[in-house]
Amino acid sequence: MAVATPAVTAHAVLDHIHPEPTSFVRKYVFSIDAKVIGVQYMITGLLFFVMAGLLAELIRIQLMHSDGKFLSNDTYNAVYTMHGSAMVWMVIIPLLTGGFGNFVMPLQIGARDVAFPWLNLAAFWMFPVAGILLFGAFLVGAPDAGWTEYPPVSLQGPVGTNLWCAAIFLIGISSTMTGINFIVTIIKMRAPGMTLTRMPLFVWAQLSTAALSMIATTALSGALLALFLERVFGVPFYDPIKGGSPVLWQHMFWFYSHPAVYIMILPAFGIISEILPTFARKPIFGYKMIAFSSVAIALVGFMVWGHHMFTSGLSPWLQLSFMILTMVVAIPTGIKIFSWVATLWGGSIEFTPAMLFATGFLITFTFGGITGVFLAAVPVDLHASGTDFVVGHFHYVLYGGSVFGIFAGLYYWWPKITGYMMSSALGKWHFWCTFVSFNGTFLPMHWLGLQGMPRRYATYSPAHDAVFWNVVASCSSFVLAASTLLLFINMWWSFRNGKRAGANPWGARTLEWMISSPPPYYNYKTVPTVLATPYDFGNPLPYIGLDSAEGAAATPQSTAGHPAPVH
Amino acid sequence: MAQTVRPKSVNLGPGFWPVTGVLAVLSIAAAIFWIVVPEPLGLAAVAETAVLTDILFKALAVVGSVIFIYVAGYVIYFSIVFRRPKNAPPNTIGVQIHDQPVLEFWWTAIPTVLLIGLAIVSVMLLNNIYNTAGDVLTMEAIGYQFGFQYRYPHVPNPVSGDMHVPVNTPITVHVTSRDVIHGFWIPEVRIKQDMVPGLVNTVRFTPTQVGTYRIECTMYCGVNHSLMNSHIVIDTQADFAKWIAKQGGAAAAAPAAATVAALSPGDAAVGKALFSQKCSACHALGPFSQKIVGPGLAQLFSDKEHPKLVNGQDVTPQNIAGIITNGYSGDLGVMPPSQINGVNSKDIANLTAYLVSLSKK
Repeated sequence: MAVATPAVTAHAVLDHIHPEPTSFVRKYVFSIDAKVIGVQYMITGLLFFVMAGLLAELIRIQLMHSDGKFLSNDTYNAVYTMHGSAMVWMVIIPLLTGGFGNFVMPLQIGARDVAFPWLNLAAFWMFPVAGILLFGAFLVGAPDAGWTEYPPVSLQGPVGTNLWCAAIFLIGISSTMTGINFIVTIIKMRAPGMTLTRMPLFVWAQLSTAALSMIATTALSGALLALFLERVFGVPFYDPIKGGSPVLWQHMFWFYSHPAVYIMILPAFGIISEILPTFARKPIFGYKMIAFSSVAIALVGFMVWGHHMFTSGLSPWLQLSFMILTMVVAIPTGIKIFSWVATLWGGSIEFTPAMLFATGFLITFTFGGITGVFLAAVPVDLHASGTDFVVGHFHYVLYGGSVFGIFAGLYYWWPKITGYMMSSALGKWHFWCTFVSFNGTFLPMHWLGLQGMPRRYATYSPAHDAVFWNVVASCSSFVLAASTLLLFINMWWSFRNGKRAGANPWGARTLEWMISSPPPYYNYKTVPTVLATPYDFGNPLPYIGLDSAEGAAATPQSTAGHPAPVH
Repeated sequence: MAQTVRPKSVNLGPGFWPVTGVLAVLSIAAAIFWIVVPEPLGLAAVAETAVLTDILFKALAVVGSVIFIYVAGYVIYFSIVFRRPKNAPPNTIGVQIHDQPVLEFWWTAIPTVLLIGLAIVSVMLLNNIYNTAGDVLTMEAIGYQFGFQYRYPHVPNPVSGDMHVPVNTPITVHVTSRDVIHGFWIPEVRIKQDMVPGLVNTVRFTPTQVGTYRIECTMYCGVNHSLMNSHIVIDTQADFAKWIAKQGGAAAAAPAAATVAALSPGDAAVGKALFSQKCSACHALGPFSQKIVGPGLAQLFSDKEHPKLVNGQDVTPQNIAGIITNGYSGDLGVMPPSQINGVNSKDIANLTAYLVSLSKK
């Protein structure tokens, strides 16, 4: 390595630090700082989370009676459509990619910002606009055909369906822009010495997700544009009476929306992969297998969309192919889960709220993954698709997976973001109430569906104790909503009573914990050089060139070799 | 570089093997439960397909339960025994192990083998679900906002209300829709297909138990989606024949051989009446592109974009009669042959005369 390394030139450029903007607007509103944009995503996303959660409670109140009269059929249909659309596009995806991705990822790779800060600014500001368009639909007649909006029934939908198209189109473009931005950032802007296999696993997850966002979202944008043109100008893409094909929409929609499931879960995988080693004080088990399985899931994830359409009249041989490819996804996912369980083994585990949510994730997500294999098997899917079983399944994946991941990430990075500690006791209450009520809400849906309750029903047959189990689900969901309040109380508590967090309150080893909390505007005064993977708790920190005042803040680690667990 | 020292003999931790044993016992108990439970879904199985699907469900439930019990069991067990004691010094660390190739091989290989097994069972069932060869009764179910209609061979008019089928008879149901996408689900039979306008999907099953069961729409179809229900009545064969007779049908009458009879001159006026009864559910009197289920038929002879019939033959009255007689199956969907539609050779002549008269105006 006697050649003059490009790192030297990179240093010379990178060490030029721009001054922080001073005006309120440039600092907090139209900021180009990825950290501020990340926090903006989080605030906006959590706001929509509250709204979408309240819509879910309306659904649960309606279903407490088999002939529910709480909402009219129209309103009920609009409410679950808006709940689903908002949770997918305005809550989970923006929080996990825009929120945690923007705040954490550049810090973890030792960058001062993302590659295209202005693109980032534009991408963020499309998000609240899209949210306002979406919720604005309530004023003109909200869309009512479910978050999937299958034509031809969505062609008959109220005028708010046009706003829905526009909102999702906008957030889709924003997602594509963020995807491009993150790919370039991760490929080009890692600190010197941070090879691909030295990247934190959260960065691997963001890289896989960004590839999915960039490629798959364009299919959704095309489909939405066509739906909009058909609704507004009568251009016949989907209406069979005019020669269109309703199944075309399903292919284009699921070509995006199945990868979207991985857009919603891979970053949560990344969060879990950071939290488990930190609090078990162990290297993550099987680093490369976890990293490569993220990529494998992203690749195979493009080829399984047809499993949403087993009842749509696909030829049996196509169903067969989609079934087998879908089952293939279970293998890398299983590898991840087993590796996380093995990471717990022999650890010195500290159960902070973040760790509790990560551990709970392992149980709830595993359950959701297993019911996913049930749905992959065509004959069982022909019975269970379109029922509450599917609703139960995807809430185990998206709530027990993605939202638990979001909660875990919030508890984990909150001190880094704000500089204050949250209450650990309150956080533990939040976890246990959430874990119990989550299972109470979504577990009964599995047998409700199998025994004959279709989804999207405002009223249902009371056979097979359906009313009893719906009441159980509804009551649990009220506890679930109330326990979520504890998170917000905890945030407020941390600003009033929380201790100041040092640079590294958890004794973590990834780069973002090597600088002060909250991080300075420029992140790293001198960009560090990375010598090894970040998870070797038995070794000294693998960074050189950290600014001394910041680097010293890192908790010193034992270098005493490989001690057995202390018991 | 990262150290990858692996201890020669690994202390697996207190109680590892006893806990593994307990999990094994729980797994076996769960497996036995799923194998012996008569109704794994908590729902009666009243058709061959349902019984087979339940077997697949049991297999999935056994595999799923075992994996879940081990994952959740170890998560809970590790969480308890590897907790950091309250008095542990802050720089305590866990076992610095990075990977274990043998373990990783097995936890990749075992699920792969299990999935292959489940896939094979699934594939074996597909034949029973989709292969309609040898089915005795072929009928149609048509969805609309917000209800179902059923059409039977030799029954002149579509039947609204309950769907009747004879027990122990292999049945093919062609499902389609008149407006938006609907779902056709009989929970006790474990089958479901979407009713897609412009497309004919097929479900088949052999009912095995007499009784009345629900039919539900499972695709959101509009404001009264949840009210779009019907019932399937599985009758004894004798009851079914009586019911068909009451609908004005001639159930047992052997249909005419489905060969193209020499076309006799037909009466367009009679054909017009017949068209509205037999054809207009699926065919519009408009241009080709005006599809309901099949193409519009008003311009058979004058459509420059479609100079041939949909089966590629020249547009002649004889070939039109051929399609009506033999049906059609291809890119555009499925049209049942005349014996299922309940039209005889005289009807075919009249219908053909009517269709010819449309274009010659």
